[in-house]
Amino acid sequence: MSSAAMTTAAPEFRAAGTELSERRRNGVSRGPLIDIGSAADAGIAWSADGAATIGALTTIATIVNDARIVEAYPGIAAAAQGVATPQVRHLATLGGNLAQRSRCWYFRNPHIDCLKKGGADCPARNGNHLYSVAFDLGPCVAPHPSTMAAALSAYEATITTDRRSGLSIADLLGDGSNAAADHALASGEMIRKIVLQIPLAGERALYKRAISRSYAEWPLVEVCARAVVANGTFQFVRIAAGGIAPVPLRLSTSEAALKDKPANAATIAEAARQASAGAKPLPMTGYKLDLLSGLVRDVMEQLAAA
Amino acid sequence: MSTMTVNGHPAPLPDDREALLVDVIRDRLGLTGTKLVCGAGVCGACTVLVDGAPVVSCMMPALAAAGKSVTTVEGIGAEKLHPVQKAFMAHDALQCGFCTPGFIVGAAAFHDDWRATRGTAIPSREEIGAALSGHLCRCGAYDGIFRAVADACSGRFDGDSFTSPRIEARDKVTGLAKFTVDIRHDGQLEGVILRSEAAHARIVEIDLAAARAMPDVAAAISLLGDDRIVRYVGEPIAGVAAKDRNTAIAAIAAIKITSEALPSVIGLDAARKGDAPAVFDRSNRKKAGNVSEGAGGPAPWKGNLRGPSSVFSQKAKRARSFVDAARQGRDPLLVEATFRTGTQQHACLEPHATVAHFDGDRLTLHVSTQSVFELMEKIAKRYKLGHDKVRVIANHVGGGFGSKGSVGMETIAAVELARAAKAPVGIAYDRHEELSVTGYRPAAELKIALLPSTQGELEALSLTAHADTGAAVNSVIAGLARLIYPARAKALSDYDVISNLPPGCAFRAPGGPPMAFALEQAIDEASLRMQTDPILLRKRWDPNPNRQRLYDWASGTELWRNRKTPETQTGRYRRGVGVAAGYWLYLWQPGSKVELMVKGGRLIVSAAIQDIGTGSRSVIANAVAQEFGLEPHDIDVRIGDSNLPEGPPSTGSRTTASVIPPTLLAVQKLKTAIIANAKQPPTPGSNAPWRELIAASPDLAASAVRPEDEKPKPPGIRSALKEAGFMGTIFGWVMRRTANIVVGAGVPSSVQVIEVEVDTWLGRVRVLNVATGIAVGKIAAPALARSQAAGAVIQGIGYALYETREVDPATGDILTGGMEDYRIPGIADTPVIDVHFDEGGFDHVLGGSVGIGEVSTVPTSPAIANAVCNAIGIRLTEIPIRPDRLLAALKGRAAA
Repeated sequence: MSSAAMTTAAPEFRAAGTELSERRRNGVSRGPLIDIGSAADAGIAWSADGAATIGALTTIATIVNDARIVEAYPGIAAAAQGVATPQVRHLATLGGNLAQRSRCWYFRNPHIDCLKKGGADCPARNGNHLYSVAFDLGPCVAPHPSTMAAALSAYEATITTDRRSGLSIADLLGDGSNAAADHALASGEMIRKIVLQIPLAGERALYKRAISRSYAEWPLVEVCARAVVANGTFQFVRIAAGGIAPVPLRLSTSEAALKDKPANAATIAEAARQASAGAKPLPMTGYKLDLLSGLVRDVMEQLAAA
Repeated sequence: MSTMTVNGHPAPLPDDREALLVDVIRDRLGLTGTKLVCGAGVCGACTVLVDGAPVVSCMMPALAAAGKSVTTVEGIGAEKLHPVQKAFMAHDALQCGFCTPGFIVGAAAFHDDWRATRGTAIPSREEIGAALSGHLCRCGAYDGIFRAVADACSGRFDGDSFTSPRIEARDKVTGLAKFTVDIRHDGQLEGVILRSEAAHARIVEIDLAAARAMPDVAAAISLLGDDRIVRYVGEPIAGVAAKDRNTAIAAIAAIKITSEALPSVIGLDAARKGDAPAVFDRSNRKKAGNVSEGAGGPAPWKGNLRGPSSVFSQKAKRARSFVDAARQGRDPLLVEATFRTGTQQHACLEPHATVAHFDGDRLTLHVSTQSVFELMEKIAKRYKLGHDKVRVIANHVGGGFGSKGSVGMETIAAVELARAAKAPVGIAYDRHEELSVTGYRPAAELKIALLPSTQGELEALSLTAHADTGAAVNSVIAGLARLIYPARAKALSDYDVISNLPPGCAFRAPGGPPMAFALEQAIDEASLRMQTDPILLRKRWDPNPNRQRLYDWASGTELWRNRKTPETQTGRYRRGVGVAAGYWLYLWQPGSKVELMVKGGRLIVSAAIQDIGTGSRSVIANAVAQEFGLEPHDIDVRIGDSNLPEGPPSTGSRTTASVIPPTLLAVQKLKTAIIANAKQPPTPGSNAPWRELIAASPDLAASAVRPEDEKPKPPGIRSALKEAGFMGTIFGWVMRRTANIVVGAGVPSSVQVIEVEVDTWLGRVRVLNVATGIAVGKIAAPALARSQAAGAVIQGIGYALYETREVDPATGDILTGGMEDYRIPGIADTPVIDVHFDEGGFDHVLGGSVGIGEVSTVPTSPAIANAVCNAIGIRLTEIPIRPDRLLAALKGRAAA
């Protein structure tokens, strides 16, 4: 029932298939498939100094269940645990999670045209955008769907493709201004692995998403934060948020409000308030800023107390 | 060609790179226990094990299974039942059974893993909830599933000693139960429907030639109505039958449509504007759908506004003048508010589906329907066939909730395509169709004014409801407020607001939950202003004897006794307890017939009813078994076939009350016949005399028709319609004459006490504890009634907190066409549910039992809203109470 003009005919890589299978079934994706097969890496490798490199074909469930990842990168493991459902996590890959397409309900409706499908405007902007961005950074108002990208952003991970290495999450996904794509890779460029840094001494991390039900819901807002607290002050803070912008955002204003400040409720409340710095909510998405602030307060208080 | 191993046997994989594992398993291997529901990895109905790990087969390319070992539900209990299967059966952890195979596979994987590492330790609710978070059940069988999984892990079901209260449970936990979507005739074609992409248009021309000319396309037909106008996105235009689904989809894409756009209007607010284009003109108003189960009252109809329908008002002018005077006098007791409820989708996991098969002039239909007998009559009438030429079969039905009670387009299209193609045709809606064009509980705007008198009595009630009915009419919400809480005067007006959206339809207690959402919150507010306990106020204002007993019970619950006030709570998380009452009509169907036979020494009971997960099979088996001193499993139950004796549809909670009385009469007749034909009396002192007699009996049969009820003896037991005086009498008469429904004496009732926790930072409401008290007479099948009561609460939680259909305001297209966007509760959202049955009140009904399905969901949403108010001191006037709404309400208070 798909009208050809409103669906995407570009070639697509297929790792495990998951969300791509859904788009194939409903006709939103109809270009040629390129099965990745073993062209990317699977599995987790560790350097002698304790840094992990995760192959793009590593499943999300593998990350959730890897004791060493849980120990060294708890924010990544917790984010992975929040992804989709157990039965999807057993299939879905880390590379696929980063390269998945938008969850916007206009984009995924084969009968409705939109910027991501080559259309002239964004129907969500003037339509029903309850789940859209609160940081309006580009013509498309769909938040980036990748939970793992938000977590990796807090970890300042780098991506190696079949052509380049050392890409930050921002390099990988762009700045949100390109409505047509959900990432900034060149045509035919493939994610091969995700390179993590050595964890800092004493660092702690958390991931949390705001949803209405208990599980298995795309985050309204999600936050991954890392901190080193010593002598009652935040020595090091990284906070990244998803669900609020076309790309995951590092909350640098909040980070600055915490760095070298006492790890107490007052500092955290102020940092939580500043999480919305630079926000530009749509008429229906103002609530996401309250959620963002609530999540930052929640995770930072836990990190301060741990 | 690559291969996989399925349940221990090698199975070939197609070379098709697009093929998904679920399709190979179901269509090529015929293992139909695995179900396809959401196609998006959300619901888990398609879960299989791949190399031991549970995965969603709807998203896994089939070729990815090459060289791997796949276990489907058929492989889980192949040799002997898995402990999880036995536990699901024993704990009645299922209702319609459509999600059950997926749950069994997921739960078995969890169980095996748990036992391997933790032995017989018992997993917590949290652990089970997290493990099964990738499964959804629309009936809400989660309460039983928690118990089943915990008990299976404890080792309690390692042996074979257990009983199952639901007699078809074994077929459902093993994947053997065949639903309509699992029916495969030889040469069966697949039908697909071409639907309108415009919200309002006149179809000038349909050119089917290109579609018909395609290879493997057997038929292409127009499905347009005689006025050739489509009034909503998704309205059927044409149908195609082809060798397989992909061919049919390609064929409908080849159909050329010439259409003329008509102005459209979308939704409750836009359609009420004066300049809104009319959806129906005078000549075609009969095409509007019906959102109620019975006939509605008369009402004026102007433009897109049909109403007011206000036959159940009582001294309406006086009610309005009382309210006006109180408002002018700033009466602090006058409660006035506007409430809004969201659009609730039935979201049946088995989609609407029909397989039509002509054998000469005989038509056999497998339909996922709530009404095998009535559907047979309607199809026979529509196609001018004799009743003996049409047979409707529904062995198992994967949920209905009101949406499968009439003749659906899936049935019409399947019949007409089968006739045109001269071959069997199956049509099963995809998830987007299921969540857009199969009906819904209309959203509503409810303006209420409730005025207590200075003496503390209920003086006046005014309720005006505007329902967002789409291309349908007949919403009755406000009118239902007449039948509870008598007052001196009531002004009750219902309006249908018609727009270019798919038609709403009946949904579990049509009109009941939105009415209760407004009324029960207004009562709660009145109790706050009167500084009276909310249960005591209801006790004072509501004389119904069934609810009087339930109020006493509710007052005594621990939840209620431990209730706090909002002022005592500070901090991020606040807890609150709320109460609400609800009722439904006691309905039964004249002419309902049951046949009972002894055949080959076994008892067989038959009726053309259907089991949509409500447990009607077991209800009827229990009734017979009890009378003969046998076990329910000793009885063969034949239902789900219109060739059987006439039975009621599974709508209006009427099945139990319609079939138990004739069953009991048939039992008496058969007993007499068995004794008369017995060659020798049972062994003296035998503890199973009937078992002996039946085993030795020649083949005998007896049948009976539903008798009229006796006159109730205790005072106060009367039809709910009596509250509406003369109009109620007329309404009851009309129901009996036009819809063959009797509104009996006594009012099925429910009172619920609910505890919530509110996260004031993240705007989330969690329901922690529910006590649901239900008075529907004697409980015919206790475990199953409990399942239904708990499931009703869970659906009510969805209505209150998560569920709402969203549409694009510009095009009228459905945005929540997938299960990730239409959010139904999951297992981890399930509170601890205590079910209390008050078994009195219906002794005048033979057998003493009436239906439970509808009444049990009515009070849930207002009880939750009242609990939220008790927690945070703010009344939420709109459901679902999503985080965005809760945070806005909290901010509003801070600003004020």
